[in-house]
Amino acid sequence: MVHAPILAIAVPLLGAFAAPLLAKLDKRARDAWVLAAGLAVAVFGIAVAVKVLGTGTPWVYTLGAPSPGAAVTQGGFPIRIVLVVDALGAFMGIVAILAGAVGLLYGLHYLREEEGKTLGLSLLLLLWAGILGLVYTGDLFNFFVFLEITSIAACALIGYRVWESRPPEAAFKTMTMYTLGGLLVLVAVGLLYGEHGALNIAYLSKLITGSAVERLALGLLLGGLLMKAGAVPAHMWAPDAYGEAPAMATVVLVANTQASIYAIMRVVFTLFGGALARPGIGWLIASLGTVTVIVAVLMALIQRHLGRLIAYGAVSQIGYMLLAVGVAAVARGGFGEVALRGGIFHMINDAASVGLLFLVAGAIRRAVGSVDLMGLGGLGRSLRWESGFFLLGALALAGIPPLNGFASKFLIYESAFRASPILSAIAVLASILLLAVVVRAFHGTFLGPEPKEAPPSPKGMLVAMGVLALLILVLGLFPGFFLGRLVGPAAKALLAGRAAYLAAVLGG
Amino acid sequence: MRIGSGEGFWGPIVWAILALGIAALGFAVWLQGRRTYKRGTEQEEPFLSGEKLPPGAPGIGGTHLYWGFTEALKPFLSRLAAFHTGFVGDYVGWLIVILVVAIMVVILT
Repeated sequence: MVHAPILAIAVPLLGAFAAPLLAKLDKRARDAWVLAAGLAVAVFGIAVAVKVLGTGTPWVYTLGAPSPGAAVTQGGFPIRIVLVVDALGAFMGIVAILAGAVGLLYGLHYLREEEGKTLGLSLLLLLWAGILGLVYTGDLFNFFVFLEITSIAACALIGYRVWESRPPEAAFKTMTMYTLGGLLVLVAVGLLYGEHGALNIAYLSKLITGSAVERLALGLLLGGLLMKAGAVPAHMWAPDAYGEAPAMATVVLVANTQASIYAIMRVVFTLFGGALARPGIGWLIASLGTVTVIVAVLMALIQRHLGRLIAYGAVSQIGYMLLAVGVAAVARGGFGEVALRGGIFHMINDAASVGLLFLVAGAIRRAVGSVDLMGLGGLGRSLRWESGFFLLGALALAGIPPLNGFASKFLIYESAFRASPILSAIAVLASILLLAVVVRAFHGTFLGPEPKEAPPSPKGMLVAMGVLALLILVLGLFPGFFLGRLVGPAAKALLAGRAAYLAAVLGG
Repeated sequence: MRIGSGEGFWGPIVWAILALGIAALGFAVWLQGRRTYKRGTEQEEPFLSGEKLPPGAPGIGGTHLYWGFTEALKPFLSRLAAFHTGFVGDYVGWLIVILVVAIMVVILT
């Protein structure tokens, strides 16, 4: 398992490009290959997490060296590309693996051969590889490269249904925004490279003093990453994208958006966490997070398209995470750590609840051909499992106890209250409105008269949904277990572990 | 399995046990009620202020639920919806706004 970090990225890449070749030979061989690749990624990702969380120190994997454990630096200057996985990276890897594995399992039964199943599976693996690379890399340029890989794969998946009018339009809009966001990140990387002649995150972090060029680079990084995370007012691409992407892709797109939040955390707390650790940046992120929460929930209230309704719900959850990151950046310790624990915990909770809702929406679309709330109703009679899963996911999303969404929101509310009671009050109000949104969606879809009977979903799709439903219950009933073993170390690694991160990469 | 925030705590198992206890209590009260329900009678018809609904009349759809919420917030919601134009040029404009704000905050703090 010494090569686990790079294999977790390389295997889905290989899987993505080999799947079309195998599909030419035999469709079952392709499916087996995709499943095997997914299983291997899960094993490697879990191995990385077990080692990092077990030892409590970041895992530095050096590429292009005689051995992966070789020193990154020569004469104090980093000369090699590295993967650096600390507890936060390991946690994000787990979230990505969960979303990718569920998405693959669902996609194998959801996609139809005549609609380009091979392409869909390949793109999903490519997106998965990009997300894992993004959360594992310790190099700023490779961060940009992985960001682009996720953008290309995500946009291709959003426009997957080329025979319809709206998906290509949504893909075009998303591609425009992702390209501009990527350009902002690239210019920031160029500015930092021009200033310091290096791309290694730990090395740059050591050198940053707060010069005008560095500040400009931080502003560009924040602008690009906040947009990619879906922060209001640069959020409008997200409902278009989530609403039109095939369901198995949407669950991975949620993890992709969370990878952008991870990137914001890495930039604010690690890369610029020394000389530019200013509360003003935290207030900016917390304010945008709060505006995102309330605007997205209000927009969800007036949606008629179930996919867009869930998409706005997903954007609102991004707001909660941004609020938590912002509060943590304001306080940096004390209630800031509580906020960060809440924000990080909310990532896996969001992946489970929003992911489940999107999968159920996909099952409904597959069964009745539409997700327009005006034409739906009574599906609870024929889609019994799906209706149960939807109710569970919806209540978790709204933060109803004892489900998982409540546990993380509880930490966010309490810590945000310490920073500003107004932010906390808006967050609570938005959660109440979100309950109205999901009750309306559940009623409109599953209750009332049934226009036509819907065929049941394939078992593989139900299993994928069941995994997320089970996770919602387990995370909700035993939050202390996950906070102690996964979330707490991740928050600590980010807030107090900057020195350990730098020392692990640069030595000393 | 409690979690603490420094100010308070949350114990989902205790909450779940209490919720189950309250549900059991409610069920016990319900069992004491009069058994007047008859399956397949007019008791199963929806009651809408005593109005007789013609056969095939539309029911109350999901989009009508929380009508009060959306009606009360209509002036605000219509402005908010208009702000979501769906035009990609506007999306880019808002990206520039967020970028300018971020750069200004970073430079001024």
